[in-house]
Amino acid sequence: MNRESQIAEEAAAWIDRLNQPAFDAAAGPNFDAWMAAAPRHREVFADLQALWQSEALLQALGQAGSARVAAVAPPVPAAPARRTWRTVPRFAAAACVMLLAIVLILPILSTTTYSTGAGKSRSVVLADGSRVDLSGDTELRVQILPWKRNAELMRGEAYFDVRHERARIFRVASGTTSVRVLGTAFNVDRQGPTRTAVMVYRGAVEVGVAGKADVVLRKGDGARVVDGHVVAQPRVAAVAPDWKSGWFEASDIPLGVLIGKVRRYSARPILLQDRSLQALPISGRFHVSDTDRVLQAVQAAYHVDVAYGPNAIAIRPRGVAED
Amino acid sequence: MPATLHQIETRAGAPAEDWRAIAATLSRYVRSRTNRADVVEDVVQETLSRLVHQSRVQTLVSVYALGFRIAANLLVDHHRRDSRYVAEHEEEPASQAPLPDRVLAGRQEVAILQEALAAMPPLRRDVLVRRRLQGQSCAAIARDLGLSPKAVEKHITRGLADLHKAMPGDARAPGGGR
Repeated sequence: MNRESQIAEEAAAWIDRLNQPAFDAAAGPNFDAWMAAAPRHREVFADLQALWQSEALLQALGQAGSARVAAVAPPVPAAPARRTWRTVPRFAAAACVMLLAIVLILPILSTTTYSTGAGKSRSVVLADGSRVDLSGDTELRVQILPWKRNAELMRGEAYFDVRHERARIFRVASGTTSVRVLGTAFNVDRQGPTRTAVMVYRGAVEVGVAGKADVVLRKGDGARVVDGHVVAQPRVAAVAPDWKSGWFEASDIPLGVLIGKVRRYSARPILLQDRSLQALPISGRFHVSDTDRVLQAVQAAYHVDVAYGPNAIAIRPRGVAED
Repeated sequence: MPATLHQIETRAGAPAEDWRAIAATLSRYVRSRTNRADVVEDVVQETLSRLVHQSRVQTLVSVYALGFRIAANLLVDHHRRDSRYVAEHEEEPASQAPLPDRVLAGRQEVAILQEALAAMPPLRRDVLVRRRLQGQSCAAIARDLGLSPKAVEKHITRGLADLHKAMPGDARAPGGGR
């Protein structure tokens, strides 16, 4: 084996190991050492990782995968009569077309989007009998198929009461976080693309973070996933999520996240452009459905100014004049 | 604020040449995943600044592994934002399809990869489909196909190396790389 293909195989082995659900902590320094050893190692690894994750590979595999299904699909009768031989390919072709139609079209037809505007909330019953309560300014896409149940929280927050089904897992994706359940009640709050809070009110769920180990949360458990790290939250005794009563319990939460919650209720857009203010850590219990009261509380407790404009409310560091 | 390379050198514990190598590796990766120059710059800068931050608050298990993961997540975010932008302006539901410029550049890649997949032993192709497309774990693949976990690993490794070999030009060895 020449040097180049040896590097490619070593890089490929690292990619496979890095994509396992749990990356062995002991392997980390070895990986860094391998990467540091030669520029060509780094180049080949970067190329292979991009290739492994590429849309092109998914498409090529998709075609290879459907070819594999088609090759298995044609049923050949055990003792066919002479005449039926001609019809077999036709049946096989029809079966392939139908299979393809089921695989391709059914997911498109069975996707439903539910959304709410700011200040509104909505309760929906899904095709499988599960119930979902949407908070304000929330968008949820749901796909119920005979073999799986998927939901994706595009923005906002939702409370799920999932009907128990042993065979069909219910999965909720929120940015880089995913929650897997069989039957249970839980809340998912998408606070940013790489920031999601999950709270469990009944049963248990499994929380996964983009390619990392899964964490199991049980009744009363909560967790915050921030940039791929899972942080446990204090246990709750509540039977329903805070947002249903319009409250939000913040402990060391960036101001940007709190304002994101207030926006779900506010009629006027709230602007928070200063980056240091976005990250300002906030603690307390806020009545987020009452925009004015939250903003007054924040203004009083932290060093910020709130300016009420005709079309929007702006939050700035204190003493910064309007431009 | 994204960190500049200079700030990284003065602030982070690792030697400057290491950070330079990390930056070069991550940009090579991001460049092959998108052909929008502004996104490349954004993602690489943001990844580096988060890496520097993380390396100061804790000892990292692997700076490269974390770097690749952050960059991949940021790329997904960018892609989401782009498709939402398109959706709002055309008042149509956001599409899961790749951006038009990726479709054009990708078509040739898909053809090359398909050819390479077709040339593989069927079992190896099957293992790759299950692992990447269907997201099956190695253990599940080993069970379904009656292979040892080591054999599954070997198929993935060989398969990926085959695919890499099939890709043309700059994406592979500059000057042959023998």
